[in-house]
Amino acid sequence: MYAILVDVTRCTGCERCVSACLDINDLDHQRAADDRLVSPDGLSANRLLTIDKVESGRFARKSCMHCVDPTCVSACLVGGLTKSKEGPVVYDATKCIGCRYCMLACPFHIPRYEWDRTLPLVKKCDMCMDRLQEGQRPACVEACPSDVLLFGERDRILKEAHNRIRTNPDRYDQHVWGEDEFGGTCILYVSDVDLGELGWTELMTAGIPSLTIPLIEKTPFIGGGVAVGLLAVNWIIRRRMRLAAEQSSESGSCDERKSGGIG
Amino acid sequence: MVRKTRHFKDILWVIALSGLVAGVFRLWFGLGATTNLSDAMPWGLWKVFNMVGGVALSTSGFTVGLLVYVLKLERFRPYVKPAILVAFLGYGCSCTALLFDIGLPQRFWHPIFMWNEHSFLFEVFWCVLLYFTVTAIELLPTIIERFRSERIVRWLHRAAFGVVVVGISLSSLHHSSLGSLFLVTPTRLHPLWYSSMLPVFFILSAMGAGIMVVVLLRILYARWYDPEPVFGPDSMNIDGQTCVIVDPLSGVKPRVVRGTEITRLAQLASIAVSILGVYFLLKAADLIRLGTWRALASGTWESWLFGLELVLAVVLPITLVVIPGSRRSPAGLGIAAFSAAAGLILNRLDVGIFGYFQDSRTVYFPSLAEWALGFGVIAAAGLIFLYLAENFAIFDERWKERRTFRMLFQPAFDTLSRVWSTALSDNLNRVTLIAVFVIPAAWVMMYPPFSAAHSSAAAVLPSAGIDPARTVLHVDGDRSGVSCDFPHVEHQTRLGGTDSCSICHHVSLPKDHSTPCSRCHRSMIEPTSIFDHTAHLTYTLTRENLTGWYPENRSCAVCHVPDQPKRGSSAKPCLECHSKDMWCAVVPVDSADLMHACSFSQAMHNTCVTCHTHESVRHIEYRGIAFGIGESAP
Repeated sequence: MYAILVDVTRCTGCERCVSACLDINDLDHQRAADDRLVSPDGLSANRLLTIDKVESGRFARKSCMHCVDPTCVSACLVGGLTKSKEGPVVYDATKCIGCRYCMLACPFHIPRYEWDRTLPLVKKCDMCMDRLQEGQRPACVEACPSDVLLFGERDRILKEAHNRIRTNPDRYDQHVWGEDEFGGTCILYVSDVDLGELGWTELMTAGIPSLTIPLIEKTPFIGGGVAVGLLAVNWIIRRRMRLAAEQSSESGSCDERKSGGIG
Repeated sequence: MVRKTRHFKDILWVIALSGLVAGVFRLWFGLGATTNLSDAMPWGLWKVFNMVGGVALSTSGFTVGLLVYVLKLERFRPYVKPAILVAFLGYGCSCTALLFDIGLPQRFWHPIFMWNEHSFLFEVFWCVLLYFTVTAIELLPTIIERFRSERIVRWLHRAAFGVVVVGISLSSLHHSSLGSLFLVTPTRLHPLWYSSMLPVFFILSAMGAGIMVVVLLRILYARWYDPEPVFGPDSMNIDGQTCVIVDPLSGVKPRVVRGTEITRLAQLASIAVSILGVYFLLKAADLIRLGTWRALASGTWESWLFGLELVLAVVLPITLVVIPGSRRSPAGLGIAAFSAAAGLILNRLDVGIFGYFQDSRTVYFPSLAEWALGFGVIAAAGLIFLYLAENFAIFDERWKERRTFRMLFQPAFDTLSRVWSTALSDNLNRVTLIAVFVIPAAWVMMYPPFSAAHSSAAAVLPSAGIDPARTVLHVDGDRSGVSCDFPHVEHQTRLGGTDSCSICHHVSLPKDHSTPCSRCHRSMIEPTSIFDHTAHLTYTLTRENLTGWYPENRSCAVCHVPDQPKRGSSAKPCLECHSKDMWCAVVPVDSADLMHACSFSQAMHNTCVTCHTHESVRHIEYRGIAFGIGESAP
């Protein structure tokens, strides 16, 4: 599983990575520039990667985090999103029905929708899956002039991240964003400022699917249990009614039943 | 009796036809152009109101089925048919709205073949699909018994109990799963509404409000068509009244039960409010468990909304049903039922829409098309409901009388047919014609231009990442493809406050093509004359140490060639003296005489970046590749 380390202290915000991303995804530069102004966080269907200027003045990359345990993958009802073994979370445009549950589910607000098209699809970063399969690095990593992005196997990248914050404690906060949050991500950040604005929270250390998957696996048993319970209750009630009817016919009264009096 | 509903039906027709027009527009222009949905608020009115809310209000088929078939509370048997009809129509219009809501409606069948069994939405899809079929099967005997197909009816009656049990277990799954849909957003949904108990809350509130919908419809039906059992003078006489109840589904022999219609409705309502009471207690306990009751006391608009929702959904219905006076009056029961239904819808809107405002830092308000289609499908379902209630044995067996009445006095179908047949002969009906066709058309014509609607649709607040007050914009002022930070407020202040807009923004230019940056900041972009004649003159005087009566006049010959007109173009090239000043720069080609200095940006590219690009490329080669694919780490 590959990962990208983002060193926020090195980023100058030149957005050369964004430009490379637009080129590799055949997106229009002008529309991407327009969307930068409209979109509240800079991402849009025409702009799958952006540099967010966080409150403290630092520049931070924002794109799909490629979670280790992705919420969107568990949410998509047709299985159109999958976590590949190379690391990227990949979108299958031929399956998507456009329910937009992935957009609601993503804790980082990443998937974007082509609102200006009549038959829209979801757009998001796929970590240049085609390039990875050809043995190349993602386009943004290739393009970065300031050595902000480091690409490689996730455990090696993590080791390097810890190495950096250990050897340079003055420069970095002692925290690798994305190591544990939401069950871990494949885009990791080292920084000297808090990155909560990007959607990170240290409160969730397990993946969000761990909240839902155990529940949904019980579903067939709940459904079956309800059906069996209903049959059992119905059998008991019927039996009691039959006994009551037999008793009343023995004592010779009419078949009128008591109705619960209220009011 | 049919006349009472006429104007109500006219309104329904208008809404339904508007919805039809909005639906056509949505299919033709796409989701982004017709709705106010955005990336920040991907789920809007159609999903949350029509699907989550609409399905929740259609619980009646399941709850009344549970009471009558499983718990054998025979006195509620007359409500089975309306309940099933409500469920069928409710699910039908939710599915219709959903069909317009999904981005690619032609692929609605995908979940049937493409499975992701870890998705709650997948479970909801399947349960709704199956349960919709179940309600259709349950409804069939009522519909086809009018056409005297005895054998099919008998066969369906035999299967009734099994179908009901399957329906109940499907319902118990998907009504809770609708709540579980929102379990995936622990960081996004407002803490007042997010809870691991959401599925339990959803099914309990849906059961309570679903029963209340049946109560409400029974009272409305009585008001419009048959007031005797509910509003009549004998309706309050509890003792000594009996009524005959025929089983609608399984066709068992008629039964006789005691009590009036209104007492039975009150019993139904008290079952509903006891479920709602359990819901309320659980919700209160959950607030304390999660500690979110502090947020309730914080006085934000979310906390007020939360309070309003609980008052409407629980407190008001319970109060009205507990007080004997209002319980025995149709009005009290009707208000209680309406309040419970409204509270349920508000709850679903809170969980699905309002609860996300805080996180997405945006405000979503549905567009006209969303309102029109969202309510249009409901209006259409209402029309079908009224038609079926008039012509089939839904509430009672009196459709035959009504049909005779209508055959004598009225055309076969509702307003629409009446409008068609007599529109041109009757002034009053011409008004109706306008109401039915012209108003919706005009209404829709007032839409914003569909193609350009999206960019202006989502009124979004800026994220904290960008300057919240928008004092700094990110603009490409010269349209060169390179954008930069533009301190707008600072420019405005410097150029003279609010009156200065016209210095850069010109009304005559289309699409707000304001003055490019280079108009004022010439030296940044274009070669600019930096030659200072006076400075050269005084400097030459001291350097050449010129003396005489007019030393200035003698200095001309230092630069200008004698017998040539004294112009910049004919003067000595600057580089003859200034060559050593330019040691680090590449000499700009387009201003070889240096009289026009190259622009600042060009100067930077000719000087700094030439070397520093090399530096950065060298840096990448040195450090970056080491962790690449196929390479080994150092």
